[in-house]
Amino acid sequence: MEEMIVKKRGFAFYLSIYKKILIQDLKSKMSYRADFIISTFGMIMTNLSGFVTFMILFHNFPSINGWDYHHMLFLYGFSLIALTPVQCFFDNNWNLRFMVRSGDFIKYCFRPINVFFYFISEVFDVKGIGQFVFGIATFVYAWAHIGIPVTVLTIAQAVVFLITASLFMIALMNFSAATCFWIINSGYVMVIMFRFKDFAKYPASIFNSIFRFIFTFIIPIAFIAYYPSLVFVTPDDVPLISWLSPFIGVVFFWLSYKFWMYGVRKYDFTGS
Amino acid sequence: MTNEAVVMKNVSKTFKVLNRHEGLKGSIKDLFSRDYNTVEAVSDVSLTVSKGEIIGYLGPNGAGKSTTIKMMTGVLEPTTGEIMVNGLVPFKDRTRNSENIGVVFGQRSQLWWNLPLVESFKLLRDIYLVPQKDYEEMLELYDSLVDLEPILHKPVRQMSLGQRTLSDILAAFLHNPGIVFLDEPTIGLDVSMKAKIRELILGLNKVKNTTVILTTHDMGDVDALCKRIVIIDKGRKIYDNDIDHLKSYFGSYRTLRMRLGDDSWIEQVIDEKTTDVMNVIQETQKKHKIKDIELQEISTEEVIRKIYEGGEA
Repeated sequence: MEEMIVKKRGFAFYLSIYKKILIQDLKSKMSYRADFIISTFGMIMTNLSGFVTFMILFHNFPSINGWDYHHMLFLYGFSLIALTPVQCFFDNNWNLRFMVRSGDFIKYCFRPINVFFYFISEVFDVKGIGQFVFGIATFVYAWAHIGIPVTVLTIAQAVVFLITASLFMIALMNFSAATCFWIINSGYVMVIMFRFKDFAKYPASIFNSIFRFIFTFIIPIAFIAYYPSLVFVTPDDVPLISWLSPFIGVVFFWLSYKFWMYGVRKYDFTGS
Repeated sequence: MTNEAVVMKNVSKTFKVLNRHEGLKGSIKDLFSRDYNTVEAVSDVSLTVSKGEIIGYLGPNGAGKSTTIKMMTGVLEPTTGEIMVNGLVPFKDRTRNSENIGVVFGQRSQLWWNLPLVESFKLLRDIYLVPQKDYEEMLELYDSLVDLEPILHKPVRQMSLGQRTLSDILAAFLHNPGIVFLDEPTIGLDVSMKAKIRELILGLNKVKNTTVILTTHDMGDVDALCKRIVIIDKGRKIYDNDIDHLKSYFGSYRTLRMRLGDDSWIEQVIDEKTTDVMNVIQETQKKHKIKDIELQEISTEEVIRKIYEGGEA
């Protein structure tokens, strides 16, 4: 039987499949015109209101724990950019628990491709793009005002640390979404995690040592913006943990993926 | 290569289910409870399916049909026993096993909801790495078996249930798998659509020699498609043989239909070995006026019902 030849599916294969699904998905989204316009409008409003809250806060407290307006803005922009990939590419995690409950999840297990990839590739959330644009603008503005030099090194650092921060956020959502393989009301876990990310916009140094410990080692949201930002904001006094964060990020993401896949293998798939 | 598409040897699957307690106090107790019951969904099932065969895998709701299919497709791991599908252990080699199987779950579409069918087909072609030539040949074959025109460019979400099921079946055969699992493919469909789908399955099985494992509650499907049926009940295999052989078990059974004075029909299954048909008619005649009588051989539907109700054949 000639089918016994193992077909190889590498990175290029997955990339091309993703691209094709994405193009098809965008095409079909455009066809719901009203929906597209409303969600674009909603996305702008969400970002605007977040920004206004931030401004009001800073109008009253010009400095938080030694972080002035532009530093905070830097942190804010950084976190917005870092949260874009989780929003754009990994949004289907929010649907995981419904699909697992209803039994529809099983369809992802019948294809000869990675289950996590197949599941995640199905949804691309356009809303993230607005957040990205907003984040970039804030980030660049703050960067210029703080006077961080523009060199190959700083730009490379920015890219690496933004990817790191994204990996942490994606991993957190993977972990909390995958709890649905064991817990019935796992929605709460996701919502709590998603709320926690708001703390990422503030310097972790404002929290007391207990919370700082939690946000570093248990729910590592301090890695989403605070630790990476220190590399730019206080270049003379960067803690070791900031330099280590890219490695921790990769490991953390890998663990979250393994946990997610472990859930799939352990799940009962009850119901017909 | 062997001639067997599926070999199952003494396969069992147990699930652990938490013993739930009543009331608020009970719920709190459950949070920390390690008090599990084991439920045997499939117990000691052995089964061999040859290449190119269409078998009906039957059983009442909750008998363990879906669990068996989930094990054969590599989604669930058997608790004990061995399964080989196309020479592979499905759970260990899920990805490779997927290359050579197709799955249709009656009410659940596996196609991309928002995409026109042809785009789903193209994605599947790419996912399964189907050569363009084979893909085109398959579409030609489809075109000769069903009317593709009305569905090919329609997004799946806009399709009727019948069109969707049809599309799902076509999608399952697209990469020319050795085995296709069809779990209640005709559920909820009208008579003409059912006929169309049965014809399609037969046609594909004939041309591609695809093994088909079919679960259904519709005996029309069984009569139209299967020579051999396997029945499981409470996780155990209770019948595995030709469908004709099954009927001969109940060879002395007849369905007696009588039309009464008010033109309503009454129906009774009678075992001629134990009951005299004439007696039944006479008894009925004492109470009702009988206008018409029909005596039929027992139908597959009734045979199956007898088995579900009465245990072993």
